[in-house]
Amino acid sequence: MTRFLPAEDYLPSGRYELLPFRFERLEGERVLLSNMAGEALTVSSADLTTLVNGDLDRSGALFSRLRANHFLRQPEDRAALELLALKLRTRYARLRDFTSLHLFVVTLRCDHACRYCQVSRQSADRASFDMSRATADRAIDLLFRSPNQALKVEFQGGEPLLNFDLIRYVVLSITERNRQHKRDIQFVITTTLSLISDDTLAFCREHRIVLSASLDGPEDLHNANRPRPGADSHARFVAGLEKARDVLGPEAISALMTTTAASLQRGPGIVDEYLRLGFHGIFLRHLSPYGFALKTKSYQGYDTARWLEFYEETLTYIIDLNRSGVRFTEQHAAIILRKMFSCHDPGYVDLMNPSGAGIAAIVFNYDGGVFASDESRMLMEMGDDTFRLGSVHEHGYDEIFSAPALLSALEDSFTLSAPMCADCACEPWCGADPVYHHARHGDPLGRKAESGFCQRMKGMTRIFIKAMEDPFVAALFRRWALSC
Amino acid sequence: MAEDNGLSVTLDAQAYDPWAVHQAAYRLSDRLAIQVAIDGNTIQCTLYPVTEGTNSHSLLVARADFLREVTDQMLRARIREATEPVRTLILAYTFSRSGLQK
Repeated sequence: MTRFLPAEDYLPSGRYELLPFRFERLEGERVLLSNMAGEALTVSSADLTTLVNGDLDRSGALFSRLRANHFLRQPEDRAALELLALKLRTRYARLRDFTSLHLFVVTLRCDHACRYCQVSRQSADRASFDMSRATADRAIDLLFRSPNQALKVEFQGGEPLLNFDLIRYVVLSITERNRQHKRDIQFVITTTLSLISDDTLAFCREHRIVLSASLDGPEDLHNANRPRPGADSHARFVAGLEKARDVLGPEAISALMTTTAASLQRGPGIVDEYLRLGFHGIFLRHLSPYGFALKTKSYQGYDTARWLEFYEETLTYIIDLNRSGVRFTEQHAAIILRKMFSCHDPGYVDLMNPSGAGIAAIVFNYDGGVFASDESRMLMEMGDDTFRLGSVHEHGYDEIFSAPALLSALEDSFTLSAPMCADCACEPWCGADPVYHHARHGDPLGRKAESGFCQRMKGMTRIFIKAMEDPFVAALFRRWALSC
Repeated sequence: MAEDNGLSVTLDAQAYDPWAVHQAAYRLSDRLAIQVAIDGNTIQCTLYPVTEGTNSHSLLVARADFLREVTDQMLRARIREATEPVRTLILAYTFSRSGLQK
């Protein structure tokens, strides 16, 4: 007599129950499934039908995968629902904290005349486009009304270093007032590095200010994208980078690139330039339909499909670098992959639902205008004040954060109820972007079938899923996701 | 072909949910404007290309895509219906400790 029951006795019994999930067709007969928490699997089209019909073989590997990833449950699986709920709660935990990122547009003046600049800039000698101390004081009052313990203060422009006196004033004021508030505050200056000085860097070191810089690629490309007097933007960037790293340390300076039509053939060269200058990653960023990008028709320089080609080619190059032993990350991918591989939201404002406008980030413009996002103030520079929530001089915290312009945009763009988004497998990794859709389609929801935002997100997801058929890439992407 | 250069598709209303047809029409709205009319037991759809110069072959491809999409939408509706109670339960679990319901 055996002391063990046969293996069949341990197989799940009874009829399995589907858990909520969505699907999207991929190339061929593959289908992408995602559940409420954003966990994903790919299956064949036939398997999807079998799954929904309740006919899946309970002793098969697919059944185990679907059960382990919460796409179905057996009647006895009581923990499955609580686990899913826990993951979902974690995914949305940021909502409870409310606004973290506060952008101070300290000046619209700039020493560059970039063709695609997201804001309409003024010439460098017009002090009327600088933020005043009175405006900054009111913005700081609002900053400390945020319930979020972790606050990020980002100085934007124009070129913010052209009004460094105000940056110094804001940093010192916030630091002083924070002795009472005791928040975790991080300061960031978004700069081209062209005007960085020893004094500036000493102040940054003293107050642990990090720098977010701009590098579009090799010298000729960077200088073509970013004209300035002397045509020396790249040389100034390199000199500023070296100086800043010496003073602040290598991790205190990051760089962003913007893809222009001239970049499209040069993905690997752009990556090589980042490597040459000692960066460990790049954020491949597309143009946005705002500001000078529209006025100068830069935005029309390529469509979403062409950007995705560029993206896939450059991502493949980066993967091959990693394959050869060079550690280098594509940070745009890392953000999305983190959402795919974990229930922790990386807090990227452009990919949040509800939209991060206002409730994750808020913008104080140089003149005191308060905007729901950086893109909102770019729209304002084009004459569209839809997402101007008020003024620091005229409105209080409650009025600004309950402005109908904000609340209706958040509600109308909510992806769990938006047509197409509500049944899209990419929804858990995507976000609502009411400002983009307002700019392109005239309403915060937009028409998803025609949306470049939607096409880009779906396209990137397909690129990732396809690339992960290679076990090396699957492991690499997991590493990126966890380091994001 | 319909008289006005649209392509007609007739569906049995017993087999297809009009809601799924509308959902499919929306999903393809970058390529097709789809007119939906219900007449007794039939759902009459007329597909119009959005872009000019669409040839008859690409319109036939679009029709096949539309039918596939309607089938997908029917499947999505089944999943949604089958999982509605558990979806509500999970959402209730999720927000039960948030304090938002007070």
